[in-house]
Amino acid sequence: MSIYLKLFLEFFHIGLFSFGGGYATLPFLYHIADVHKWYTTKQLSDMIAVSSITPGPVGVNVATFAGFTTSGVLGALIATVSVILPSFIIVIAVSKLLNRFRENKFVQSVLYTLKPAGCGLLAAVGVDMFINNINILGMVLLIGLFIAGAFEKRDPLFYLGVSAAAGLIAGYFNLTF
Amino acid sequence: MEITLYNIFKTFFKVGTMLLGGGYVILPLLQSELVDKKNWMSDEELCEYYALGQSIPGIIAANVSIFAGYKLKKISGALAAILGIVSPAFIAIIVLARILEELVNLKFVQSIFWGVGIGILVLIFFAVKEVWSKSITDKFTCFMFFLTFILSGCFKIPPAVLIIFAIFIGLWLQAVKKIEGEE
Repeated sequence: MSIYLKLFLEFFHIGLFSFGGGYATLPFLYHIADVHKWYTTKQLSDMIAVSSITPGPVGVNVATFAGFTTSGVLGALIATVSVILPSFIIVIAVSKLLNRFRENKFVQSVLYTLKPAGCGLLAAVGVDMFINNINILGMVLLIGLFIAGAFEKRDPLFYLGVSAAAGLIAGYFNLTF
Repeated sequence: MEITLYNIFKTFFKVGTMLLGGGYVILPLLQSELVDKKNWMSDEELCEYYALGQSIPGIIAANVSIFAGYKLKKISGALAAILGIVSPAFIAIIVLARILEELVNLKFVQSIFWGVGIGILVLIFFAVKEVWSKSITDKFTCFMFFLTFILSGCFKIPPAVLIIFAIFIGLWLQAVKKIEGEE
């Protein structure tokens, strides 16, 4: 079987079965490291660290990287498209169904319970990140940003820019850890 | 701004470049671009896409972007949106692939991303606040929020299980209403 077909099958599989986003793809990615040797588990944990400094979701980053290291730009393209393809098909199908059955009472009732659950999941992610990353200086930065954002709505770029600059300065004075 | 394929691509490309820290910030970024700045959709619609994006398989940021793109301009809009979201990620990995490992270990890079991690926390907080105001409308939805929050946060129940649970609760509520209505 050609490498391109293998890449397609593996990453299509991940796109289809990873559920819950973000780090839900990780078990699949470790499985690939075991079976195909496209990368080692050490390389994978490096890649996960890397994906926190490159834009984009972890799953997409690792797909591109794995495709690229095994078979160049074409491999990267195939792996990336494959991981997205199931999403594309499913979302279009769900959108069409939703447009058709929006007035259905069961659909409305599911949306009614699903939305607060989705919100709760995001809040849990936030708290988890808070517990794992925070220290005193981080707390100061956090409170500063909250105050800056409390009185007027600011662009996300403001928070990312200010916090990146603050990190750089804190790092320069050895204060980040 | 007019809804053209090029504008959809451009907007999602911008969001894609700011999508740092693994994809969780997709919601605040899209709120800022699609709702606040461009008025292309309402907060309610985006919150709905986010809830649905979490309930189907695949990468959440990609799912939400495809939902939003489809709403804007059907299948071609969905294609423009997903291309825009993925391109910055794709380009960054291809260009940096050879030096990524050294890059991660550079001290100043680590410092920057320590800071960005805090910025992301603030963005997530504001996003939760926004979604809360659109989805917690009564005591029952408030109960659903805290139930999911605690089961996920404290008991580490996988998101997929909680989503399926929420869907069943929704179906059950309506079934009960129907039976009561018929009696």
